[in-house]
Amino acid sequence: MASPIRILTAVPICDGHDSAINTINLEFIRHGIEVVYLGFHRYVGDIVRAAIQEDVAAIGISSYNGGHIDFFADVVSQLKKKGASDIAVFGGGGGTITHDDARQMKRKGVDEIFFAGTSLAEMANYVKKHYGKRKKRRVKSEPDLVLARRLTDLEEAASRGRKHRPSNDVSPARTKHRTSNVIGFTGPGGAGKTTLIDELVLRFLQCQPKTRIAILSHDPSVIGEGALLGDRATMINSQDDRVFMRSMATRGQAGGLSPATESCLALLARSGFDHVIIETVGTGQEALPFRNKLVDQTILVMNPDYGARLQLQKIVMLDVADIVVVNKTDLERAKAALSEIEQRLMQNKRKQEIVATVAKRHRDPGVDELFELIK
Amino acid sequence: MSKLGAVVEAVEKHGRFVLEQVKRARSDEKFAQTVTERWNKVKTEIPIAKAPTGLPLPRLALPEIDEPGEIARYLFGDGLPGEFPYLNGAYREMYLEPLREIESFEKNDEAVAARVSRAKKPERPTRPLLQEEPTRLFSGLMLAEDTNKRFHFLSAHQRSKRLSTAFDGPTLYGIDSDADGVFGKIGEGGVAVDTVEDMVRLYDGFELGAPNFSASMTISGPAPIIMAMYIAAAKRRFGVKVVPNLRGTIQADIFKEVQAQNETIFPTEASLRFLCDMIEWTTANMPRWYPVSISGYHIGEAGSTPVQQAAYTLSNGFAYAEMLSARGVPVDQFAPRLSFFLDCGLDVEYIALSRVSRKIWAIGMRDVFGANARGQMFKLHTQTSGRSLIAAEFKNNLTRTAAELMLAYMNGTNSCHSNSADEPFTTPSEEWIRLAAHGQAILLEESGIFKHTMNMLSGSPGMKAVERAVEKAILDEFREIESLGGVLAAVENRYQRSQIQNAAHRYEQQIYDGTRPIVGLNRYRNGADEMPEIELARTPRTKQKLQVERLKKFKKKNAKKSKHALDKLSAVVERGANCFPALLEAVEVCSLGQITGRLQEIVGRFRPMV
Repeated sequence: MASPIRILTAVPICDGHDSAINTINLEFIRHGIEVVYLGFHRYVGDIVRAAIQEDVAAIGISSYNGGHIDFFADVVSQLKKKGASDIAVFGGGGGTITHDDARQMKRKGVDEIFFAGTSLAEMANYVKKHYGKRKKRRVKSEPDLVLARRLTDLEEAASRGRKHRPSNDVSPARTKHRTSNVIGFTGPGGAGKTTLIDELVLRFLQCQPKTRIAILSHDPSVIGEGALLGDRATMINSQDDRVFMRSMATRGQAGGLSPATESCLALLARSGFDHVIIETVGTGQEALPFRNKLVDQTILVMNPDYGARLQLQKIVMLDVADIVVVNKTDLERAKAALSEIEQRLMQNKRKQEIVATVAKRHRDPGVDELFELIK
Repeated sequence: MSKLGAVVEAVEKHGRFVLEQVKRARSDEKFAQTVTERWNKVKTEIPIAKAPTGLPLPRLALPEIDEPGEIARYLFGDGLPGEFPYLNGAYREMYLEPLREIESFEKNDEAVAARVSRAKKPERPTRPLLQEEPTRLFSGLMLAEDTNKRFHFLSAHQRSKRLSTAFDGPTLYGIDSDADGVFGKIGEGGVAVDTVEDMVRLYDGFELGAPNFSASMTISGPAPIIMAMYIAAAKRRFGVKVVPNLRGTIQADIFKEVQAQNETIFPTEASLRFLCDMIEWTTANMPRWYPVSISGYHIGEAGSTPVQQAAYTLSNGFAYAEMLSARGVPVDQFAPRLSFFLDCGLDVEYIALSRVSRKIWAIGMRDVFGANARGQMFKLHTQTSGRSLIAAEFKNNLTRTAAELMLAYMNGTNSCHSNSADEPFTTPSEEWIRLAAHGQAILLEESGIFKHTMNMLSGSPGMKAVERAVEKAILDEFREIESLGGVLAAVENRYQRSQIQNAAHRYEQQIYDGTRPIVGLNRYRNGADEMPEIELARTPRTKQKLQVERLKKFKKKNAKKSKHALDKLSAVVERGANCFPALLEAVEVCSLGQITGRLQEIVGRFRPMV
């Protein structure tokens, strides 16, 4: 089966109009497209970096606050500068982009501008028709470009059903050239994994001036083929030249990861990053996403709202996690949750750390403590 | 329970209270007599107005009821205009023509004459008439001097100078014009303001301390910094004595930014703290200033239903009141300085949305927060819906806006902005702005709908039906928010955001599948879909360059002093004290972006919610 089309969508800097793009994203997903959504108020540099790392076929920009001629042209020219001019640029802005503007923008290399009144299906069909076939890319020396394309190849191979089993010599645990410290984050949806990782990345970038980090983040594919890959929008600190981030859709696989996770992780782990961080989708009680020594350290992120104490007995990850983070400890139930989880971990009789965090809080001491444990 | 739960209880209790009064008026003869006497007294004191055709009309229309129960239901449940719970209006006479117009009554009509002469000596003082025009026109383009010129153009014929300011994208996000990648955005969609010097230029030629002047600034994320710049600019021009006389409004509504508009730059809690710092300082030192405009407009524009708009706006307002009370700011200091801003579109709810909002706010503020009458009043600015305007066959937008204006004034809004028909394409051009402004004058001055009689369109059975349905739906929303732990907890759970997004998605779907008719788009398209010839208001590159040069000069000139001011500001913020006085000092020598950047180092950046 062919891989889904991947595109990136974003709203330009100083523009918070995300109502249209939210609706359009949903429509794209319904049409089987994987959408990496970067969010609103985004710099050109962030959009171009993300598009390259995510190896998308096209960038869709929704602009309502003016300055679109410069902004779109800047995206096109920076893509070209980085050797990624195969990535197409399209967009729209309701009535704010006139036909005259659109003509100018097209002359500057923009593929298509949609005007007010274009139906959602029309846009989705346009994307499917024009961006379904990947263009060949001249292999340039830009390392991000090369790495990104190789990850795409691995994802496509996995989608075609070629099995990348651990025995295939790609399990990171068996990879001789593995140079990175691999940290796995898992836990239920809504526990704040993404925010927590982003806060840790901020500390890595601040405290280790040369560190390079790779992030492999997962979001579920919806029935059919599409997926909304939205972690980048939350991860404001991770949009940095020293961070390589890749968003992956689970493409039908249960358990929190994608069929290509192992091989992609193996590749990243020997690509010169100091740390590789992997984030699963929100998982259930029985999930054990990191098998085969996929990672060096496992971190389970929990929310104090897990229900009755009995529920803790059912969460399998509590047996194997190296560190258990109880996030959102500003919530009322936090104190009780911390002591219940501590007792639960004591049953395991092995060295497991427990850390209380409020990741949404800037400079949270709990996140500092976690950073000390993993850095 | 947060105070929102208490508000729900108070509104329900008030409903029961009204029913009790109705029953009592029907069973207790003495009470019935009191109620009836009051009613008759009110009726006899109503002056008579005369239409230009000579038709005499009462200046206040009341329902034709004489049964004590029904009278009690009206007086306690709706209230006369200007009386609790203010359903019919925050003031007694709103848009009525001044009383002098009625002095030439028909001499041979003795009954009328008698009533008018009685009315001239009212036994209790009536509320002052709204002496200024309720028209507000939102404007902002290019550089400060360009917007200044537009302000002078717009207000040339107005008795009162009421300026409403739109800022460009970089300013709204607290970014300097010389920052990377924002060049094309300078002066687009609003005016570029980087420094106090821009602020001086922006309002040049206006008497900032005059009673007939007020400035409104539509900005929220960096509002405390912009507020400080405005005060600093006023001090530069008129000296420190002008500060207590400054009149105007700054939007500063952080909750709606996080819920809908996305123009916020610090984490929510930090933003709320800076906001409360500003409110605390301005309500103590600038008693005529409205330091927050609690806004549903952007919630509506982001796609919410009208009920969601009202429910989130009111609950945000109650949340601010709760925070300020918790800080120890006296309710009678802050409550009269809270103002509101709602959207008015074409959905049927808008027939009564603001009326119901006024009632719920009054009950909540009186019964839960103990506010006095001024603090109970829901002071409302309305804007017609920008979202309802479309590019295709755009002249239809005139009709849309006219219908929305009618609804807004039927709701007794205190002031109103009417959108220009060319808004789907561009910052409005002068031709279409003039039409938008004249639309209001036609409605209020030319037509007789609002100028002769208060309550002209209040209280029809249909309107009452909408009121009941809307009130119930708003209270249901309050209960849902309360069950999530109150407004702040619900915001952090993205509740309001996802509700708004769902509604927006449904709205778009309805347009695409045709169940929501939009003339010229999915109905009665005339085929030719050409873009109109309109003059686009785009900022020339030379102006954008000029803004960057000015800013660089300012930064160079103040390089040494700015570091000191920023360090001082940091220390105050770290200490947890009210940072507004330090902001007032910082804006003298620092640019907007410098201050934002320093504050973000301390409190972090806003993490968008998807």
